[in-house]
Amino acid sequence: MGREVAESCLDGVMIEMVSAYCTRFYATKPELAARRIEAIGYQVGHQLSERYTMERPRFTDHLEAIKFICKDFWSELFKKQIDNLKTNHRGTFVLQDNHFRWLTRISIDPTPESTEASSNDPSVTAENKASQTTNMHLCFPCGIIRGALSNLGIPCAVTADISNLPACSFVVRIKA
Amino acid sequence: MQFFGGSAAAEASPAPAAPPGTATGLAGNNANVLYVFNRNGVCLLYREWHRPLRTLDAAQDHKLMFGLLFSLRSFTAKMDPTSVEKGNLGVPLLPGQGCSFHSFRTNTYKLSFMESPSGIKLILVTHPKTSDLREALRYIYNLYVEYVVKNPLYVPGTPIKSELFNTNLDQYVKTLI
Repeated sequence: MGREVAESCLDGVMIEMVSAYCTRFYATKPELAARRIEAIGYQVGHQLSERYTMERPRFTDHLEAIKFICKDFWSELFKKQIDNLKTNHRGTFVLQDNHFRWLTRISIDPTPESTEASSNDPSVTAENKASQTTNMHLCFPCGIIRGALSNLGIPCAVTADISNLPACSFVVRIKA
Repeated sequence: MQFFGGSAAAEASPAPAAPPGTATGLAGNNANVLYVFNRNGVCLLYREWHRPLRTLDAAQDHKLMFGLLFSLRSFTAKMDPTSVEKGNLGVPLLPGQGCSFHSFRTNTYKLSFMESPSGIKLILVTHPKTSDLREALRYIYNLYVEYVVKNPLYVPGTPIKSELFNTNLDQYVKTLI
């Protein structure tokens, strides 16, 4: 019933989308680029959650919906479940994926050997650029989660945190 | 996760074990040097694990290696007794044209070569008793595709600086015989 597409194609489209928005469309305004990419993710998440909740009854509360995202939704998208779910029981959830599929190939350059003593700046800016690009790549999955949850009736805000690749955490804050 | 689709079978079977005493002096890694060039001659990667003698500086060394392979390919294609058409000797060959040269062996080292249709050339220098390394080179090319080409932070045509690629490469080279 489902149609398949090669994962390499999807990877290629994602890379090009982020690079197009960051370097060509909104080159001088990275926040706008991030918001645009997140809006695309929102649409995708909206539609995907329609498909994957077709036969299910309505969710009783927020925790059930988040658990749906962690288990069924994530395994449909990435063939694995979220590894760790934390909550403060006051509307904030942290979903942690220890091996996020779309980040497995991102690799930051090792610090280049520099001959001058005062060249701390080039390596710092290279690392900053790398983490900036990685954060852009995460806008899309954040948008997907936000779109899926709003389709289930839960308005929220989602941010991502990459303290150690390839693990990554998504922080979901439900708007009360 | 299924990275290597078509050539997955290739990766699972290493070459048969070398006779004892051949790998001495190369403790740890079993290869000496690896070069990766793109079709314009830019050296994308130079890794050395065991190189006691260095005669030229890095840029000249890369140019020499690229020129050597360029000439060898052209020469082997022109000397091919089975091919019908023979162009002029100086004409540069496209990646698929002519017969493909795999390796040459001296009494101290063996140099194996692989060129992909996109012009990426892999050169691996190992000890002389190594068996055919074509599968190994194909695996390394697969690593290149997975960790370099698909890395969003990589700019094509620039030298490779990816941690993941280097780590996986080192790990794989340790298993070579």
